[in-house]
Parts: sequence; C-alpha cells; structure tokens
Amino acid sequence: MSDVVPQARGAIALDAAACTSCMLCVKECPDWCIHIESHNEEVSEPGARRPRSVAVLDSFTIDWGLCMYCGICVEVCPFDALQWVSTHDYAAAEADGLRHGIARLEEFGPSDQR
Amino acid sequence: MTGADSPGRPDRGGSADSPGDYAADVAGEQREYAVAGRPDVRIHVRDLGLACCAVEFAAAIGRGLLVPAEPDSPGSAAVLVVSGTVTDALAPQVLAAWEALPEPKAAVSFGACSNSGGPYWDSYSVTKGVDRVIPVTTYVPGCPPRPEALVDALVSLVVPA
Repeated sequence: MSDVVPQARGAIALDAAACTSCMLCVKECPDWCIHIESHNEEVSEPGARRPRSVAVLDSFTIDWGLCMYCGICVEVCPFDALQWVSTHDYAAAEADGLRHGIARLEEFGPSDQR
Repeated sequence: MTGADSPGRPDRGGSADSPGDYAADVAGEQREYAVAGRPDVRIHVRDLGLACCAVEFAAAIGRGLLVPAEPDSPGSAAVLVVSGTVTDALAPQVLAAWEALPEPKAAVSFGACSNSGGPYWDSYSVTKGVDRVIPVTTYVPGCPPRPEALVDALVSLVVPA
C-alpha cells in the first residue's frame, strides 16, 4: 500500500463491541450505504423488577461502492463505534466485494487518527 | 498548466501555445500513462474522466505517480480508468471508448459513481455502475479515491497483492 497522509479518510473502522445497534448512523447516512440487523434479548438480573431488553448486533454492513465518505456516521455515533482510518487499498474484483461486514470492518481498526 | 508556470510539478510537455497535459485529454487528444517507477507494470492507462474523480486522476499525474507512457512498448496492456459519474445518455460513449481499446485490456472503475452510481444511486439519469456498460476488472472505492488508491489498483492488476 502506498503511503498517504495519516489524516486521510480512507475507510471507516467498526468497533462492534461499542455498537449498540442504535441505528443513528443508518438513519443519518445520505447514501443509505450502512445496513444493520439486530435483535433484542432479555437480560434478567437478580433483584430486578423485570428483565431488561438489550439490542444485540447481528450484522453491520457498509457498502463502499455507495459510500461518499462524508463521515456523518462517524460524527453521529454516540459510542465512537465508527472511526476514520487511512487505509485505502481495498479495491475489489467484484462490486459485491465492496460490501464489508463486521469482521472486515473491524480489521480496519484500531484508528490511526485522532 | 505548463511546467514553467508550476514549479515543483513535472514538465509534461505543455507550452503556452498548446496547453497540453490534462487539458488535451479533455479536448479529445487521448494520452496514455504508465505507473512511475514500475517498469514491471506494463500498462498503458487512459482516463475516461466524467466527473470530479477525474481530478484525482489528474492529481496522480501532477504528483508524478503516473507518467506519460512510452509510445513504443510492446506487450503492454491497455487500461481504461472510468472516473466519474456515468449517465445513461453518456453510456454509449463509454462503451465506444472501451471497444476502441486494443486487446489485451482491462477496465478500472474509479470512485463511488462509476462503482454503483454512488450518491446518485436513486437518480433517474445516472447509470448504476459502469459495469452495466463495460466489464470491470477492479472497483476502486472512494468518493473520491486517493491518487495512491488508483496506483495501488493499477499495480494490483499486474502484480496481485
């Protein structure tokens, strides 16, 4: 990979553990290039009046073929689950190869930017 | 832009009488480029600049990442870089530019618009990816991609990463 300036907006890395499936990034994306699937699980804690409902992330996909790298998703994420990285060498031989799921998006991290 | 007027930029053969360089491409005089410092990557690159991503192609030239190709270099493959928004009205021209290239050849889709329509994925007039018009070998993501991404993609056509 050729060297680029460190603040380059090359890709957006995901920290899936920080994601709460709140869908803010999905809703704010001007391109609708983020797709999230999640389900709710009930967590019972001793002494609680009733079980809590917790969202569990099933899939998180960014379609880089659509993404216009505006960074609104990074800005709106309340939990810093999305971060810019300078990585740019992920050209694909198939258009579908630009759809990255949780594992591939986590590989981009941790962020090399502040 | 001429070499004399822009210190620090490589002289690409333009003069006051003939603007040369990238302007010549836009005017229809097609120029071919090679990856600088990589004689093993024997490709002749042509830019089909349709929108703003073409500026990044020009940046790759301006920064010396791409240099004018030697006219006589047998065994070189032709590479068409489609950079920018492809519209349905323009699609036949894109196909004609592809068919005019000699074999062996490859097409690089450079940027979100030519990858999928990008921000215009819901527009009535924008082609939803140049791969609906010509066969694409590599899709370079970005809006726009950096010049380095272009060079990396071109090199990986010949030398798989």
